[in-house]
Amino acid sequence: MFFYGFMQRAFQASFLISLIAPVLGLFLILRRQSLMADTLSHVSLAGVALGMLLGTDPTWTNIIVVIGVAILLEYLRMIYRTYSEISVAMLMSGGMAVALVLLGLNEGGASLNINQFLFGSIVTISQQQIWLLLGLTLAIGSLYIIFRKPMYILTFDEDTAFTAGLPIKRMSILFNVLTGVTIAVIMPIVGALLVSAIIILPAAISMRLSKSFNGVILIGIVIAVIGMLSGLTASYQYGTPPGASITLIFIFIFGLTTAIKKLFSASQYERLTRRRNITGDTD
Amino acid sequence: MQYITVDDLAFHYEDEPVLENISFEVNSGDFVMLTGENGAAKTTLLRNILGLLKPSKGNVTLSRTNRWNEKLVVGYVPQQVSSFNAGFPSTVLELVQSGRYPRGRWFKKLDKEDKEHVRRSLESVGMWDMRHKKIGELSGGQKQRISIARVFATDPDLFVLDEPTTGMDSHSREEFYRLLKHNSQDHGKGILMVTHDHEELRQYANKHIELIRKEDSPWRCFSMDSCKEPSKHHSSSH
Repeated sequence: MFFYGFMQRAFQASFLISLIAPVLGLFLILRRQSLMADTLSHVSLAGVALGMLLGTDPTWTNIIVVIGVAILLEYLRMIYRTYSEISVAMLMSGGMAVALVLLGLNEGGASLNINQFLFGSIVTISQQQIWLLLGLTLAIGSLYIIFRKPMYILTFDEDTAFTAGLPIKRMSILFNVLTGVTIAVIMPIVGALLVSAIIILPAAISMRLSKSFNGVILIGIVIAVIGMLSGLTASYQYGTPPGASITLIFIFIFGLTTAIKKLFSASQYERLTRRRNITGDTD
Repeated sequence: MQYITVDDLAFHYEDEPVLENISFEVNSGDFVMLTGENGAAKTTLLRNILGLLKPSKGNVTLSRTNRWNEKLVVGYVPQQVSSFNAGFPSTVLELVQSGRYPRGRWFKKLDKEDKEHVRRSLESVGMWDMRHKKIGELSGGQKQRISIARVFATDPDLFVLDEPTTGMDSHSREEFYRLLKHNSQDHGKGILMVTHDHEELRQYANKHIELIRKEDSPWRCFSMDSCKEPSKHHSSSH
């Protein structure tokens, strides 16, 4: 399968996604914004539909629309501080509604194309998308290295970050915009319906496996690489949609690591109890 | 040098006043205790001072510089730290080390001196042995202690502490107050601390602000009597 150009591009794209997904995913989870990825993926459908209606490259209309909504999301999060899910619910349904209306206006041929964006397609990855993804990976990687410490504090507690003198509003907007652009770029590859799972799941799995912040990111990247590449291979072998195959592999890894962790904890507890019984220690 | 200047501050939640006629100063070397009954808007006042809330009337000025004309560093311990982000994937050491970042370490590696500061801060609250533990695995009291260690690691010019001793035993509390007193008296740090332990704290603090309910207000609104020196004798109820 590596002889096919489209498969080479698919593996290159998957590898690059694996490097950025756990970084964004961890911050999204810790900022309680896991559903933001889902919202932006629904909104990005509206961006694609707009591009199709205007007859331009949907990648760019998608990025522009998602950036706008990512900024709006931060504004709404500030307004509904206690009930931030309200903004998610509003924009998710709003984004989908706009997408459907725009698709309705664009009669003929659009439904076939939109399926690619809904479910993802490894055949459609272009060299331009790979370059775009590489640029994005380098940007996110550099920003993570430079802003790791301020982001750590911002994610831990916004009030503490504010009193430490960090520009929390600007940082939050920049983070939302980066997440939005990432979703807009990877959505045609893995599909709008599953893009959030691919961003969130590796970080969710690695959070259970490491005690330290950097450890979670590193383990997350390893898990993402394994899940993405094996999911892609399975997708090619069995002709299943790539996004769905990758998501199922992540869920399988989640189940497996949870079971192994439970077994490990149980055996550790048993060993400790046995040692206490031998030494007669009752503490 | 004045670190905090509060001038005729009032704060309203929507149309309902909760704080009125608040004026005081916290200077370098001051150890100020802020007391008041439950619901006396003590935390609201602190949040106004820190800029997390905007006063409805009056002014709050937080000095930009410390007494050496360097950028003022504020160390804040919020209320109920024990309920902080329990699943946050970080070790105790990582969290306390993050206290050094506002000391010009946002984009630099921590050096030997920083690490020494972190070690001493963790030792001062008896948490050095727990440094490799995940913060989510700690008890409420231990979380409280690492929040204090984090603020000591920052070595701030101004401490803003919101009931930091909740869940601490009396011996640890006394040690903590002594450390704060040393910081204010010998190193010129400013301290503003919300507390319910005013009987214990009065021998360490040099100013006492008490928020009292305004009798003439139809709302549950609080004001301050005056900013006074705390009486040093122990009350008979203690």
